Amino acid sequence: MGIFNFSKKDKAKYIVLGNRKYTFEVGDEGMVKVNRVNRDIAVEEMTHNRFDLLYKNRKHRAEIIEKKQNKYTVEINGNRYAFSIETPISYERKKMLEKKSGTSGLVVTAAPMPGKILEVLVAEGQQVKEGDTLIILEAMKMQNEILATGKGVVKEVMIKNGDSVMKDDRLIVIEKK
Amino acid sequence: MKIKSILIANRGEIAIRIIHTAKKMGIKTWAVMTAAEPNALYLSEADEVIDFTENTSEVPPFLDVERLVEAAVKHKIDAIHPGYGFLAESAYFAQSCENKDVIFIGPSSDAIYKMGNKTIARKIAIKNKISLLKGSTRPVTDAEIAMKEAEKIGYPVIIKAASGGGGKGMRIVRKPSDMEKNFRLATSEAEKAFNDSTVFIEKYAENPRHVEFQILGDKHGNVIHLGERECSIQRKHQKLLEEAPSPALDEKLREKMGNEAIAIAKAVNYSSTGTVEFLLDDAGNYYFMEMNTRIQVEHPVTEMITGIDLVEQQIRIAQNEKLSLRQEDIKLEGWAMEFRINAEDVQAGFAPNTGIIKRMVIPGGKNVRVDTGFVEGAVIPPDYDSMIAKLIVFGESRKKVITTGLRALGKIDIQGLKTTVPFFKAVLHNKAFVDGDFNTSFIETEMQSLFHQEKDEEMLAAFLSLMDYLKEVSDDSELSADKSSPWLFNKRMKSI
Repeated sequence: MGIFNFSKKDKAKYIVLGNRKYTFEVGDEGMVKVNRVNRDIAVEEMTHNRFDLLYKNRKHRAEIIEKKQNKYTVEINGNRYAFSIETPISYERKKMLEKKSGTSGLVVTAAPMPGKILEVLVAEGQQVKEGDTLIILEAMKMQNEILATGKGVVKEVMIKNGDSVMKDDRLIVIEKK
Repeated sequence: MKIKSILIANRGEIAIRIIHTAKKMGIKTWAVMTAAEPNALYLSEADEVIDFTENTSEVPPFLDVERLVEAAVKHKIDAIHPGYGFLAESAYFAQSCENKDVIFIGPSSDAIYKMGNKTIARKIAIKNKISLLKGSTRPVTDAEIAMKEAEKIGYPVIIKAASGGGGKGMRIVRKPSDMEKNFRLATSEAEKAFNDSTVFIEKYAENPRHVEFQILGDKHGNVIHLGERECSIQRKHQKLLEEAPSPALDEKLREKMGNEAIAIAKAVNYSSTGTVEFLLDDAGNYYFMEMNTRIQVEHPVTEMITGIDLVEQQIRIAQNEKLSLRQEDIKLEGWAMEFRINAEDVQAGFAPNTGIIKRMVIPGGKNVRVDTGFVEGAVIPPDYDSMIAKLIVFGESRKKVITTGLRALGKIDIQGLKTTVPFFKAVLHNKAFVDGDFNTSFIETEMQSLFHQEKDEEMLAAFLSLMDYLKEVSDDSELSADKSSPWLFNKRMKSI
């Protein structure tokens, strides 16, 4: 275990939500139950935020890419995973909140990569359907079509032809119909 | 005339690749320093560096014909090697070198022009009875004519840039209503990439293999081929993995296609390394697609199975030597694969991932060759393509190459950027690929997931997150809110 030492009060149950739900029960040093089964995982910190994880005689290289309160992004074996860490209580609350709010009906299209807006093909108020081309984004000398993911009306266009955008910049808001 | 010095009009791994052969041949090398990468690795490998960091024109440095030729003349450099991309297939660049008595390490400007213009290349192919797909014989200038041509040929069709290559300016059209949009996209992409918006239309072959032949021709009329490369693992017409030989060819088909490749090269008096690209269908029918008049990114797989240094051959041909190899001397031995390690986020649909390489370990070794232009700490600039390195693996058999490939990919440690490594692991684990049963639609039709996940890796990443989180909040301040009373919790719910 090495670098992580648990105090008595950590000896608890946590739920880590990624693509799947993982339940961890953290016990005495080195002992952890994953989804109710005892697992032996060795963690070694190589440099800052870089770790080697040894599990079932296999080494996995991992790096903590980002952390914000209980939200983590970890890269392992070249793939990235996003997690939120919950206690059983916060997990229940989260589930209830999701049930209550439902979907807002607004879909934000964000830039999948940095680049330049070559052409905006829709205007505010315009009806679109799934697969319609909204924007042509040039990145790395390739023209990429950004498509509507569903049927709706264009609520807001945040960019214009010739704009440079960063990854994850908001481009267009569509109200789902 | 023996070449004593070479100006390399290129960057990255290919500049270094050329420098290595030049050193072996006792040739002095000159590299070009640009403002985008003033500390790049290729500069430290060259004997001399020419400073192009100052912007004297709107033309990017590696596209600035006049400035490059002038530099060669000024420094009395014998020859220019264009590498691939940039000016490698510019007839104007080759012509400008010829005019100033600088040796252009490549074919004649005439051959580049004829093969570079796809409509002329098609005419030459027809004249030489090379098998071709149906297509427009003249450039297509507007969407309406495109529509008429497509009607004649029959859908689906593909719009291609007349001066194109590398997958740019290409669009597939399956029905008339999609023509206008795609025509506009193809022409504007062609204009951007090649400064020529001319396009033509061809029948689109569904799911063929992409098989290309490596050609060597000298200035004395000798042309041979060095076997084929299988390049069907592509995404949006961009090659990702190449191998030699192709699992789809037998000796008989190899000879037939090889002879057609030689015929087309001979038709333009081709004198350098070149590549003749074919589409090959399940029934063994093949169609000439285009000829690339340069060294290819994927040339190392041919070098691995033939033992021939292709850059050395290019230089020898450029200095007027006769080919020392005859067709019967060429023996294909073993198998080789190349993996393009690109800075791309496979989990986000191969989005480019520019930034700093915080850590880069790509072990080479027996049967494993690594060609790269970067070291740790380098920035992948958005100005150029996203390739970080090429991993080339050799083995006695295809099966052994796959095993060695997986081991080599597993040892790669690149931090700071996401790469195509998990993608290649997924390909090498895929049954259709292992069986050699695949075509250009492989990524869309055969891959359940575009990236390989090691068993339990998400759970381990979740565990690491939790451990780190517990360390951070060991004072318990963050979690205390959650240990609050259910009463408070209910109140919060109501206020929403």
